[in-house]
Amino acid sequence: MTLLQTGKRTLTEQMLLIRAVEDHLQTLCLEGLAGDLHFSKGQEAISVGVCAALRETDYVVTHHRSIAHAMAKGVPLEPLLAEILGKAEGMNYGMAGEMHMSCPAKRFMFSWQLVGTCVPVAAGLAWAVKNYLKTDDVVVCFHGDAATANGQWHEGVNIAAVQQLPLLLVCENNAMAGNVTPEYYSPFGPHMQTGRAAGYVIHPDSVDGNDVGAVYRAATKNLEYVRKYHRPVLLECSTTRLGRHKQGQGDLRSQDEIAELAKRDPLKDVVPEERERIEAEVQELFKRALTC
Amino acid sequence: MQLLTTPKREPWSRNHLLRDAIGQAIYDRMVSDPSVHLFGEGCHVKVHYDAPNIERDFSDRVHTLPISEDGNVNFAVGASLLGVKPVVDVITADFLYRAMDSICNTAAKMNFVRPDQPPGTIVIRAEFLTGGPTTGQRPEALFTHIPGLNVVIPSTPRDAYGLMRTVLDTSGVTLFFEDRMIEDGLIEEHDRRCYAPIAIGYAHERQYGDFQPDATVLVYGLMRQVVEKALDPMLNIDFLDLRTIYPIDWSQIKYSAQRSRKLLIIEPDVQYGGVGAEIAATIAEEMPGVRVKRLGGMRATIPAAMLRQGSRMPTEEEIRDAVTNW
Repeated sequence: MTLLQTGKRTLTEQMLLIRAVEDHLQTLCLEGLAGDLHFSKGQEAISVGVCAALRETDYVVTHHRSIAHAMAKGVPLEPLLAEILGKAEGMNYGMAGEMHMSCPAKRFMFSWQLVGTCVPVAAGLAWAVKNYLKTDDVVVCFHGDAATANGQWHEGVNIAAVQQLPLLLVCENNAMAGNVTPEYYSPFGPHMQTGRAAGYVIHPDSVDGNDVGAVYRAATKNLEYVRKYHRPVLLECSTTRLGRHKQGQGDLRSQDEIAELAKRDPLKDVVPEERERIEAEVQELFKRALTC
Repeated sequence: MQLLTTPKREPWSRNHLLRDAIGQAIYDRMVSDPSVHLFGEGCHVKVHYDAPNIERDFSDRVHTLPISEDGNVNFAVGASLLGVKPVVDVITADFLYRAMDSICNTAAKMNFVRPDQPPGTIVIRAEFLTGGPTTGQRPEALFTHIPGLNVVIPSTPRDAYGLMRTVLDTSGVTLFFEDRMIEDGLIEEHDRRCYAPIAIGYAHERQYGDFQPDATVLVYGLMRQVVEKALDPMLNIDFLDLRTIYPIDWSQIKYSAQRSRKLLIIEPDVQYGGVGAEIAATIAEEMPGVRVKRLGGMRATIPAAMLRQGSRMPTEEEIRDAVTNW
């Protein structure tokens, strides 16, 4: 697993980097230096695994929990951090913040705060890739499991299925909608969102979202299908959110429940030296980001 | 205006001069700009009946989407991220309530959160009808409240053509309304000629009175023809058609109000919280000597019975009364 590599870093190193950056940002949130951020602690394997399977020219569209996706897609860290911290040096001049940022140079096209909006937008992007630019690139749309209860998810998937668009829908299923559990929003139960695919005659697939190698292999296989046949695929990655929904909100789960979920942490087996090395690197980065 | 081919008319269709002008403007823009694409519910059917030249020359740029207004506008936003200039047809203006989220939350904010990137162009079309409680509403004033949106309501084919040419040629998100209640028979010959783009944000001075006019009358949409019909053309008034209700042509409104010291705003919409309220408040704040009056529809649901629908718009008698009695 650690042998898989994109650019200069292995996939584990990329996950560690995301974890370390988000941990630092969390400290800043508690100190009041950063806003009410949404972190992917425990979910890093999905963004890293899927983006490792993408071509550089493929497109990514995502939701409010976007920091991990942006980093995995290769968005440069310094402008990214500046944007998250609301500085004018940010890649969108500080106008977009954590939940609306984009970096088309890295084909990180769109992130949006409202749940479900990313799906029809991703369908429109995939339409333009197929029918306007006429390239064989693919659009990946990350969304949460709770988004599948939203009308925008259904309208977007319906259009993508009807128009036969090159769209890979990656459902990050952490079985949570904020603090709400699936019995309130899904008739499929906690880990069966693939059932939604049947309604649109699109191919469903599911994978352990905390195993970065498995995510990479599943994404590679499905991307090949999407690229070749121009049909959307719904890839469900079951995962665990180990942190709060957002920093300004409490967590209804007990410490025991979170400790139980942490047994599935994709980074639980990492050797401490590697972790420390990445953390030292991130500390340097933050020193630069906060002084600029 | 010369249409390249004659539209196929159904016996029930009426008032199509404005629609033909909009179709011609889109066609002319499509000729020179390959990034203009049409999206919407039943889009290819609408083009078949209303714009056969687009169907003939650009059928590959006409895309029918499902009846999912909100998803369709978000879809168009996605396409615009790669340089497409979408014209999204939401059909009836009442359906815009369905798409409020994608218009006000997504489309209106896109150019704002991407200041580092070239701004996109999105046009959202809808038409005003009169058909009943949910087929005859005029929600245009709501959109003037949202930063990031332009709102255009032309009242003549010339303006419709010119404004559509302009909004397709400039960056930004525009709500483009087509007032189907403007009767073809009331449109004067010189207003039927379509030839040039018209900048948005400029009112059309339909009539200027002499050195000191008795009143300034501001209208938009359907009210232009109604007021023209109601008033004696020899009256000494300034008569302005706003054409775009955001941005608003403040300089011309203030210039005219300065001359007449009396401003009457006549709107074809619910008067409460409408465009007239914004203009009246601004003029009252900034030009204390000017008397301001509004005339609009009552805040009532539109009955389906055709005969009673007229009751929500200002009548000719009310207009005559408002202009002459201050």
